[in-house]
Amino acid sequence: MNGLIAKALGFAAILIVATIVVVKKMNIDLSDPINIITVIGAIVIAGLTAGVSAKYISQMKSDTASGELADENWDGIGEYKNELPSGWAYSYLGTMIWALWYWTLGYPVNSFSQIGQWNEEVKAYNKKFESIHKNADKATLTAMGESIFLVQCAPCHGNTGDGLSGKAQDFTAGRLSKEQVLYVIKNGSNQLGYQMGAMPPMMAQGKDAEDIATYIANGMKGEQPAAFAACASCHGPDGTGMNGMAPNLKINDDTLVEHVIKHGKKGIIGRMPAFNDRMTPVQIKALATYIRTLRGE
Amino acid sequence: MFHWLEKNPFFFAVGVFLVISFAGLIEILPNFAEASRPVVGLKPYTVLELAGREVYKKDNCIACHSQLIRPFKAETDRYGQYSLSGEYAYDRPFLWGSKRTGPDLHRVGNYRTTDWHENHMWDPPSVVPGSIMPAYKHMFTNVADIETAYAEAVTVKNVFHTPYGDEFKGTRAAWEAHKPKVLADAKKIAADMKNKDVKEAVEAGKVPEIVALIAYLNRLK
Repeated sequence: MNGLIAKALGFAAILIVATIVVVKKMNIDLSDPINIITVIGAIVIAGLTAGVSAKYISQMKSDTASGELADENWDGIGEYKNELPSGWAYSYLGTMIWALWYWTLGYPVNSFSQIGQWNEEVKAYNKKFESIHKNADKATLTAMGESIFLVQCAPCHGNTGDGLSGKAQDFTAGRLSKEQVLYVIKNGSNQLGYQMGAMPPMMAQGKDAEDIATYIANGMKGEQPAAFAACASCHGPDGTGMNGMAPNLKINDDTLVEHVIKHGKKGIIGRMPAFNDRMTPVQIKALATYIRTLRGE
Repeated sequence: MFHWLEKNPFFFAVGVFLVISFAGLIEILPNFAEASRPVVGLKPYTVLELAGREVYKKDNCIACHSQLIRPFKAETDRYGQYSLSGEYAYDRPFLWGSKRTGPDLHRVGNYRTTDWHENHMWDPPSVVPGSIMPAYKHMFTNVADIETAYAEAVTVKNVFHTPYGDEFKGTRAAWEAHKPKVLADAKKIAADMKNKDVKEAVEAGKVPEIVALIAYLNRLK
């Protein structure tokens, strides 16, 4: 054992002792595999550093120049002819073969598609999402609906769903205001794609229309005005829309939210754009559930 | 064997460049030619939309808003369908942007309306609480330069063969003939707005910047 190796061993020992001291001082938990791997890594690096340094330093001390000089000579500085390292040569040949494959088949036939990746990712995610939330309870749906509402709906309907002082439908008030009902009675409606089809304008007039509007705006409580018969033929005697054949006049039910999301709506307040294909059926259901909670339903 | 190359560094550099660019050329050029064609159904910007685009550039919307939806689920959930190259075929220049201090706007026409934009440009926090976007009230009084926008349309028609109709010509008479169409478009936008000054200006045959900008934003679908 010569002096150099002894020095290297000493250096490695210092590094290892320092590592152990740090581990002890900082109370590092060695039962955690990440920590133990890190410590082993530190010790190995210390050993390798010392060993490799010792090897090259001793080689530098004893090595002499040998080999054949290349023809080129720059101001007296020459270069030895070195054999191509075989590993390098084989990988170079391998790259050439790979390049041939890549040119002819790899790129044209087999190329990566970001859109394809997106398609697969979204398909897999939606499938998983729908199966997880197939029978979601009300709390889950409400939480999900709230997050969707804050991203997609809040810019117009407001963070609390209050419609930002009349800029959009107010979900915290009744299902329909008196003005909204009168507007629809006057103009009719054929926007939401319900099975019942278009609602013709002027189904009721004058005091009849006023009575109907007041009744609906009050949440359909109290005595039903006689004129409501005109509405009942499509919206049902109780105004709930005959199980999704026509819009529900009482609450924002799942069907109503689904139809508005799909078709958008232009009414007395303004136009709401359609959000078609932006949400899955479960998400629309969640949104409807959340919108109903805004009014404590 | 190749010592002569090492002795001629200039030609060596040219050779290296050719070899390296060859791979790039065969991969990039065919895709580029394919992707730069307009997608089916894409129409060139109307003159009013072009004027709005100029407002968008002038007020530097691009500094905070991008117009490029990447094919990541998180982005398509929020902004809609990912963007395709062919959708930018008539964008000169494209306004992709590189920073999103605000949201992406490439499909903003799908989910915002004229009156929303009106409220928002007048006072952003009134519709988006906590928004750091500044108000752009000057757009309600500044008048958009529809004449230059028309000139731009004629230029891209002549230079790049953008499919505007034959009636787009670089003459005063052609512009006077086209102007009523621009004003009619502006009236349609103004009809959905509440600001009285804007409505009066449009009635008087002027196009406030906000009208042109909203026409442009509604077009982004």
